[in-house]
Amino acid sequence: MKSISKSTTDTPTLRLYGWFPTAVSIGYFQSMDQEVDVENCKKAGVDLVRRMTGGGAVLHDSELTYSFITREYPQNILESYSMICDPIITCLVNLGFNEVKFAALNDVVVDGKKVSGNAQTRKEGILLQHGTILLDVDPEKMFTLLKVPKEKIRDKVIDNVKERVMGVNRTFDEVSAALERAFSMKFAAKVLVDNITTKEISDSLKLIKVKYGTYGWNWRR
Amino acid sequence: MIRKSHCIYKSTKLIHVLLEYTERTPQDCTTTTINSIMITGDFFVYPEESLDKLEASLIGTKLEEYPVRQKVQQWLRGSQVFGFDSESLTKAIMGCLDNGETKI
Repeated sequence: MKSISKSTTDTPTLRLYGWFPTAVSIGYFQSMDQEVDVENCKKAGVDLVRRMTGGGAVLHDSELTYSFITREYPQNILESYSMICDPIITCLVNLGFNEVKFAALNDVVVDGKKVSGNAQTRKEGILLQHGTILLDVDPEKMFTLLKVPKEKIRDKVIDNVKERVMGVNRTFDEVSAALERAFSMKFAAKVLVDNITTKEISDSLKLIKVKYGTYGWNWRR
Repeated sequence: MIRKSHCIYKSTKLIHVLLEYTERTPQDCTTTTINSIMITGDFFVYPEESLDKLEASLIGTKLEEYPVRQKVQQWLRGSQVFGFDSESLTKAIMGCLDNGETKI
């Protein structure tokens, strides 16, 4: 977002990426200590970060993550979520899935099971939406690293996740290619493939040091 | 007497409220008021920074349903929330009265 806000061009940008090591991100309004078993994450070598977007805690493990940044978007929040989730739906249909639907505000479901969660923020006239397409789901691992609400029983929570969430069981490369084509179709745009610039890497490392890697940011709530 | 409390309330999304309040005894002429409040959960608020403003505005508010609801409704006129409404957030805040632990 910072690159585009200072840039002289307004090229919408799509990033497709995975996570190494495995990480947990929490929503902007969540409490790290309420949501995450920090000790277990430390023992497992799992990174922790607070997102700049709302929503829930996410275990970033076997998934494709995307982020989409644009200056052109509907002002209505629900409409903008629907617009950017549309290529995810197209991607999944093209991968052979049926009954693929947008579930407002921010999910995409297949046969009623969640395969994609998304979250959005708007700053300085720029919209960022990011989200995941699950490749595989491991609820046992999830609830070793995320806290189970004390009024719930761990086994029931795990069974509940298995009923409500699914992975697409495709490779990262298959999903990535399908999603790239879907965004290209949706926005009638040619995708110009590029790598992160040296300056963007340098700026990112600075942001990690002064903000996103700090206790003050990650434990702000 | 200062009390702290944590209430978890299930609306469309989950709301956690961490509250510190000064509880007045029957001998006092003043009422129970909010000293500090933190609202957390897996909801969405736009713009994001506005939740800090709601929390700041609730400090010093009487911990009674009407004034709390008034503040929440006023805040909602300038913010968009997905995951709770004024009624559920008011109930989450007032729910803290059931769980208060004495701090001092």
